[in-house]
Amino acid sequence: MGVERRHALASKALGRSLVPPQAEEENPALTAVTGEILDVSPHLIIVENPEGVEERLVIAPWATAWRGSVITPADLPTGSRVVIRARQSGRVADRLWGDVTRVTGVILSMGRDGRDRTVELHCGPHRGTREVVIPYGASGRIAVRHPRLEPGYLFDAIGTRVEGVTTAYLPATSQPPYRATAVPPPPPAYNGVQSRISGAAAWSDAFDEGEAGVAYPMLERADSQCDDAGVSCTGLPYLSLGSMLYVGNVCESRAAVLPIVACGCMAGRFCDRCVECGTSPRGRIAELSPASFVELGGDLTNGCFNARVGLG
Amino acid sequence: MAPETLATAALALVVLLLFLGGSAKAATAGSHAEPGGLARLGPGVLVPERWRKPVMIFCAGAEVVLAAGLVFTASPLPRWGTVTFFSVATYVLWELRRRRPDVGCGCFGDASGSPVGLRSIGRAVVLTGAAVLVAVVPVTGRNLLSPSWHTLIAFGAGLALLAVLSPEMEESLARVRHRAPCEQRPIAAPKALARLRSSSEWRSHLDLLTAAEPSDTWRELCWRFFVYPARVASGAEADVVFAVYLSGRRPPVRVAVVEGEAAGPLRKSIGVSAGH
Repeated sequence: MGVERRHALASKALGRSLVPPQAEEENPALTAVTGEILDVSPHLIIVENPEGVEERLVIAPWATAWRGSVITPADLPTGSRVVIRARQSGRVADRLWGDVTRVTGVILSMGRDGRDRTVELHCGPHRGTREVVIPYGASGRIAVRHPRLEPGYLFDAIGTRVEGVTTAYLPATSQPPYRATAVPPPPPAYNGVQSRISGAAAWSDAFDEGEAGVAYPMLERADSQCDDAGVSCTGLPYLSLGSMLYVGNVCESRAAVLPIVACGCMAGRFCDRCVECGTSPRGRIAELSPASFVELGGDLTNGCFNARVGLG
Repeated sequence: MAPETLATAALALVVLLLFLGGSAKAATAGSHAEPGGLARLGPGVLVPERWRKPVMIFCAGAEVVLAAGLVFTASPLPRWGTVTFFSVATYVLWELRRRRPDVGCGCFGDASGSPVGLRSIGRAVVLTGAAVLVAVVPVTGRNLLSPSWHTLIAFGAGLALLAVLSPEMEESLARVRHRAPCEQRPIAAPKALARLRSSSEWRSHLDLLTAAEPSDTWRELCWRFFVYPARVASGAEADVVFAVYLSGRRPPVRVAVVEGEAAGPLRKSIGVSAGH
């Protein structure tokens, strides 16, 4: 049975409203456009979205792009995958990320390829193993935030994926000092669960292209077929695939109610803070799809925002 | 036993519960500074969202004022006020159970998160009776100063009765033992299934079910859901959804029969990206 019926069935049983709740809009909406670049000029970009529809966007004069480093949008190569943050109901592009990817996982082994370093990562039972290249030019920057590039420790970096090769350029967080198997337990709680829990929200590319959704760490292992789920250093309540999760960006006053579509088994192992605006409480509480992350006002190269989550 | 003895014990019980309830509600209202924090505690869910916090604070204030009025004055106003308070509370709990079967009564703030059952309603009825006794027999706080043995025994018996009628007791003990509320405790599905199979809701829907094992099961907060394929009296295919509360020895079970695909308006698609 598909998990998409779960919210409706649960609402029936508990007498809740059947219509999924929607967060109220406070700021002008952002739209995320994803797809493959068909053509790009200094003022116009044409992309083919995952449904095969062509979308034409005007590039704002102040727009910037990122593809391993900050570039002008017109330098994005044709044929690359792009995530665009667009304003004016998706007509004006103001931030573009080309071939962007994020590698989050547990280090299995380290290697060398000339001057570059290579990392083999275990990215959770659903996502498998990934090979990442850290180019010599970025290795210092990544090593500063990841002092223990050793098997068993966590790794989280943002980079590009071009022709099947994943290259890490930016550290996405400060590496937790503990091994991936030694996540600190959540603080004891004698009160009831608060309806909104604060922490850091990250993004992940383990979603379908353009999909809106969220990966949540606190799932029952048997229900989610994910043996690594149910670990978090924050007191998160149990939810399931198909539950609707309210996610609010505290810095930007934007919020959305998104379905939980994947198991956030790696997110739960990071007990870090996001220092996007102020310092968030400890703990990564959700992993958003790139499209949802961008629509909530996040910057893919920053890797996180201070968030509040709750049951939708 | 003289009516005055019983009334003194009833006064002590009513004042104790009013004071505890008022302070627990005030603590809950104070700790959830952000909007929506009281969304899942009654009776706040029956009023619009912006009134929820004021209603909680008003209830807490009224309880403390009534308790003080009962102890320090002999005026009939707080006495009949308490009777009114508990009778209204009984009605509100009944209504809450009918309209929002998933929310807790909020009688003791967020300690009362488990859904309203007959026990919570029974407790409100017992307290209404105690309040009537206090209103009819003239006792004040002065009687509490020199309690007789009979009063103490009656007080102890009343307290035991209220403890039995309080669903908060089991959850509070479990929170102390596991150092986590029900929503954060891992609870195995077979345990919930065993509780479901011993419930009256299970027995009354057993004839409809066409399979022995659930077609889907999942957990959300303190509820575990089981979906069974079924056939309704008209012969149409249906799903029976059971929701089992995961706290307490005889937990509340809610059930709904959903016919065909009429499961309500869904979002256009909720895909699952990994592993399914």
